[in-house]
Amino acid sequence: MSTGTFVLKNALRNKRRAGLCILSVAVSLFLFVTLLVALREITIPPEDVGAASRIIVRNKISLGTLLPARQRAVLERLPGVAAVTPFTWYGGKFRDEDATLFGQFAVDPLKLPVLLPEARVPPEQWAAFFKDRRACLVGKIVADQYHFQLGDRLPFTGTIWPCDLELRVAGIYEGTLDDRNVFFHHDYLNEAVGELNQVGTWWVKARSLDQMAEVVAEINHAFANTAAEVRAETERAFQMSMISMWGNIRILVRSICSVVVFTLVLVSASTMNMAVRERFRELAVLKALGFRRRQLFAFILAESFGLALAGALVGVGGAWFFYSHVSIARLTQGIFITFEVTPRILGQAWLIAVGLGIGASIAPAVAVARMSVVEGLKTLD
Amino acid sequence: MADTPMVVIRNLSKVYRQGDLDVVALNRISLQIDSGEFLALMGPSGSGKSTLLHIIAGVDRPTGGECRVQGIEVTRLNESALADWRNQNVGFVFQSFNLIPVLTAYENVELPLLLTGLNRRRRRQQVNRALELVGLADRSRHLPRQLSGGQEQRVAIARALVTDPALIVADEPTGNLDSRSAHEALGILQSLSRQSGKTVILVTHDPKAAAFGTRTIHLEKGELT
Repeated sequence: MSTGTFVLKNALRNKRRAGLCILSVAVSLFLFVTLLVALREITIPPEDVGAASRIIVRNKISLGTLLPARQRAVLERLPGVAAVTPFTWYGGKFRDEDATLFGQFAVDPLKLPVLLPEARVPPEQWAAFFKDRRACLVGKIVADQYHFQLGDRLPFTGTIWPCDLELRVAGIYEGTLDDRNVFFHHDYLNEAVGELNQVGTWWVKARSLDQMAEVVAEINHAFANTAAEVRAETERAFQMSMISMWGNIRILVRSICSVVVFTLVLVSASTMNMAVRERFRELAVLKALGFRRRQLFAFILAESFGLALAGALVGVGGAWFFYSHVSIARLTQGIFITFEVTPRILGQAWLIAVGLGIGASIAPAVAVARMSVVEGLKTLD
Repeated sequence: MADTPMVVIRNLSKVYRQGDLDVVALNRISLQIDSGEFLALMGPSGSGKSTLLHIIAGVDRPTGGECRVQGIEVTRLNESALADWRNQNVGFVFQSFNLIPVLTAYENVELPLLLTGLNRRRRRQQVNRALELVGLADRSRHLPRQLSGGQEQRVAIARALVTDPALIVADEPTGNLDSRSAHEALGILQSLSRQSGKTVILVTHDPKAAAFGTRTIHLEKGELT
């Protein structure tokens, strides 16, 4: 018999309790990983190169206040500006859906390839998109979810704008951070609303990353003291300000994570306490036989560690396997796209498991260290 | 009986403090136990015989006096040194056997050897020898619950002698056994003393058990009578 065998036999002496403890650790860590991954996904800023050179221009009053279409000419004349497109959220309901989960944006189709260089679209589909003012480009996730084919007609009912639209699928794009949108001609929106002459926001592409700060400053300066002052910022900054609106969600999710971890510590500590308490007498016998305090502590620690790490293997490993092999985008109908279990999140979960293994063994180990052999031998079985 | 004393005790006292009350368990006891002696320690409940046994075996500490075992003042050893000393020099036999229920008879006997640094082959030799000595070589793979009380106590005796200690302490080892099993267990202890020269200290209430010893001493209210 080795020391490892001895520890293993002790850990599994009450198989049901050990199993339930492992299961509770596994479920809690699975939940923990899920929450962190979800939090990351809803708060992650765009990191692609395309996003780095894009500038979002919105009305200084609020995102909901429109901008005059005449600003475009001014923007295009600014040095350092490579391309400009209106970017207006339509926000319609698709067919008879109560809530449509993908966005529809009116843009300048000819500028979209410049503004969105990471989007992969076959050339003939770009061409079809440019040619027909009722054409649209659909993100691959949405196309897959709704089984859209090229040529399909998509009816939308306006909820913000007083007009309904019917778009024809001219192409399907993929490769962007968010392949869940539908892009269509801004001219079509203008026509449907009737001389709109306004846009939601402008998307501006800078000629180079070096000129970003300069271009942002120029845009803000160009419309200062006008009837429609703007707030220009990089796409990353824009996304971060949107993310800041999730502030309470972040606190909420982190609070839930803390509660999960705290509960986990209580459950594990309680299990280890029970496991050790019921064999206090045996531990006293081991002491009498010559086992030192640190050896008994090592036994308890190894047992606690074993249970916590077995739970982590099932829970964290299970979460990684599940989210790596199951299409979360399909499962959540496109609410979450990548749902990536990053090494950082895995590391955090394993760290908690390690902490749990140590934390749960401290109280029983201290009790055993303090216990005298004589006291321990008097303990009832 | 050898000439060298195994245990030399001088003015040994043990006082328990219970609230404001001092309870004297041992009152300035002096005693000598020779090597190879089989000493029966008798006395009524609360007389201090188990306390005396625990101090000699190094699992309890006195409040006064000296206790030398094989010339070593065990009361002055620190916790770690005392643990090592117990492992090498003392074999324990308890009333309720105290075997580890998830380990087989073989593994229970092997347990003290895990601390010795012996390799697996040497450990196997010693464990088998100990189990043969108590007549349980054929039960080595059995768990304690698959053994009778008498067999469990014989496994416990095998565990006590597997490290070849000079001193074996037995605290009412026959208390949970029927008369036949008790007779067998005491016979083994007696032969360990007679044939292997082990010093055996037996705490018992039972005069029949004490009769197996070479000497009997009585304790009452913490004093030798």
